[in-house]
Amino acid sequence: MTGPAATPAATTLPGALEGVRVVELTDESAEYCGRLLAGLGADVVKAEPPEGAPSRHIGPFLDDEPGPDRSLAFWADNVGKRSVVVHDDAEVRALCRRADVLVHTLAPAQAAARGLDFGPLHESSPGLVVCAVTPFGQDGPWADFLADDLVLMALGGSMAACGYGPGPDGVYDTPPLACHGDQAWRTASTYAALAVLGALAWRAGSGQGQFLDVSAHECSASMTEWHLMTYLCSGQVHRRGPHPTLTAADGRQVAALNPDFLGPHVFAGMLEMLEDEGVAGPLSDPAFSDPVHRAGNYREVWRALKRLAEKHDGETLYRLGQGAGLPWGVIRSPEEVLEDRHLRARGHFVELEHPELARSVTYPGAPFLAPRSPWVARRRPPLLGEHTDEVGSQWSDR
Amino acid sequence: MALEGLRILDFTRLGFGAQATLVCGCLGAEVIRVESTRVPDAIRVMPPFVPEPGERGEAFGAATLANATGAPSANRGGIFYKYNTGGKRSLTVDARHPKGLALLKELVAHSDVVTESFAAGTLARWGLSYDVMRAIRPDVIYVSMCGFGHWGPDTNHVTMGPTAQALTGLTFLVGLPDRPPAGWSFSYLDHVGGYLGAVAVLAGVIHRGRTGEGQHIDVSQLEPATALSGALLLDAMLNDRPSRRPGFPSGNRRAHPPCAPSGAYRARGDDRWVVVSCRTEAHWAALVGAMGTPAWAADPRFATVAGRVEHADELDALVEAWTSERDRYEVMEVLQRSGVPAGAVQDAADRLERDPQLAARRHYTMLGNAEVDELPLEGVPFRMSATPPHTGGRLRRGPPCLGEDNEAVLGEVLGMSADDVAALASEGVLS
Repeated sequence: MTGPAATPAATTLPGALEGVRVVELTDESAEYCGRLLAGLGADVVKAEPPEGAPSRHIGPFLDDEPGPDRSLAFWADNVGKRSVVVHDDAEVRALCRRADVLVHTLAPAQAAARGLDFGPLHESSPGLVVCAVTPFGQDGPWADFLADDLVLMALGGSMAACGYGPGPDGVYDTPPLACHGDQAWRTASTYAALAVLGALAWRAGSGQGQFLDVSAHECSASMTEWHLMTYLCSGQVHRRGPHPTLTAADGRQVAALNPDFLGPHVFAGMLEMLEDEGVAGPLSDPAFSDPVHRAGNYREVWRALKRLAEKHDGETLYRLGQGAGLPWGVIRSPEEVLEDRHLRARGHFVELEHPELARSVTYPGAPFLAPRSPWVARRRPPLLGEHTDEVGSQWSDR
Repeated sequence: MALEGLRILDFTRLGFGAQATLVCGCLGAEVIRVESTRVPDAIRVMPPFVPEPGERGEAFGAATLANATGAPSANRGGIFYKYNTGGKRSLTVDARHPKGLALLKELVAHSDVVTESFAAGTLARWGLSYDVMRAIRPDVIYVSMCGFGHWGPDTNHVTMGPTAQALTGLTFLVGLPDRPPAGWSFSYLDHVGGYLGAVAVLAGVIHRGRTGEGQHIDVSQLEPATALSGALLLDAMLNDRPSRRPGFPSGNRRAHPPCAPSGAYRARGDDRWVVVSCRTEAHWAALVGAMGTPAWAADPRFATVAGRVEHADELDALVEAWTSERDRYEVMEVLQRSGVPAGAVQDAADRLERDPQLAARRHYTMLGNAEVDELPLEGVPFRMSATPPHTGGRLRRGPPCLGEDNEAVLGEVLGMSADDVAALASEGVLS
């Protein structure tokens, strides 16, 4: 098997979207789309007002000192892009004439008022792909409503299914919870990138651009796995409550999934591990090899797993479970992921030089390994207006 | 459609891999699911089951082998319907049969893309390694999708969504201060991982269009997740502010930008909630107005963002006293009409039956198949003006019954006659 060891030289190969020019005119809700397109090799140019994009003024900031070039929120989602300062919409339209893709977050009326609606843009640039990422899409009764990530996580259904379970009295005494990190915005941004890729694939044959209407609400509403189907099948809805976790000897938690439904090998692997560890107890009774008996006595399985958990720290417990073929995972904070030996071996995290700070910063890198069109992670996030002159001289009309 | 003419030979199972080919199918690709009657995709035979008309299905919850083996058929597993729209076709082939393997090789020769989500090495053991496939079809785009990917020291590790969520920090980031993580109760990373799998397919197709080259793209369920924590990772590394610290994660409160009131508030009814999120001074002023300008809102402690954040607990209690006497949709409507970001906490039933926006946008598409009545199903949630995606894919059809397209696929793709197909079936090749 050809491994990444065979591909370091490939990191100088162009990405899949090499030569594709993207103008980004977005607020913080859709910058992750451009981050993905830049990783695929596109030349993503952020058109910013003189004071900088809104996200430059959102914290946290480096050393907690605010400043347009110090926002870590900006860094996280703008790595790989270039920055151009524009003073009016005529300059934005001029950029669009030289580009292949425009990604924006303007409401329909705003876009029209600024001469950035699809009709006129398409007239002057028939090949331009225009992607509008808005909270609720271009039309419908909620089209003018306001939403941040939290509102979208509520309306989309994630929150209703996330949080702590009810107390012993069956009453929920804590609220539904949304994951940190703006997940609804990221889902919408990822779908926006897919729409752009689909449009580019079609344009390669047709030469034609088109308008892409991405509703963050619809994106958020479509990411709750089997919840819709459960309701359709049973008339029941999912209530919130954590997945089963084991608490290891060091207090760390391990997500301990036991997908019995995948086949008899799942329990067989688990039993062997529990016996090796001397904690199988009643599970060694052959009756437990019968899935029906097991289903009716699952509490015994869980007790044995708790006996196992008391013996080991979280990392060890995670690896023991995996050694038995079980999809277990130790619960890590984001910064603890940096130490993962597997991701390190795959070269996942990348160091980018920030010469203005005389230091390098670690960023998450390739979401997948594509040896012939590798993920591009060469540019640190742009300083405000850093590339205004450069892009002006490099980009000619399409 | 955007991917008209693209053929994907699809060996994915469960959610993560199938989500990727769902996207491609909705964009117009021809997706041929290669399946087995002997070992059907687990989500084909796992509850909840799509009921017969008039019958009541069983909820998901204890998806044990016991009730999986009691499945009424291979075509009624509800979760299968979530991940297999896009007009996918189903072809059953016994890859252990020599003629079955030969058939698969012929199909590779006629396919642009091969996708799979088996444990690393499985497809190679069948006799379909990337080297074998590219000898048959030099420009084939092979996209492998397993938990840890095909390369690296822990490739033998297996994941389901919650595994990957735990390992990449996403489970940790759902919780209240100083309590164990609550995490996600579903496989968010089956979706996100699947989207990036689709990105991989599309990037491979665009690269091949420019260069003529195929490649083996390796997708894991971990790497698509590491950038999802956004600035939190950088804050931990650069400002020495680890996420594992007292008081964090802070439930629904967000430090950046500083804002209050913002969070989920009780509404009228049993466990009903509404999110209100004032991110600007204008939102706060509008909220005060919508609540009828109560005297407490003039409290000087609430006059600035800093003051409201500092006294967020008291502020939240006051806002909740107002919301808790009102219906969640009423609060949302009143606040939105006043210019305040707000939204009801909706579950799956709400989204289907009470969300006028999803209805107006035709978010759900009614699709069925030979065994199951039409159901409101989901595809890709975006619109394209020139090449509209469709939840039923190029065939405008619901998820396939197991093996239902054997004759159509082998006829259209390999030019086999109905008799040829029947002969293969009688030899047990199509099982």
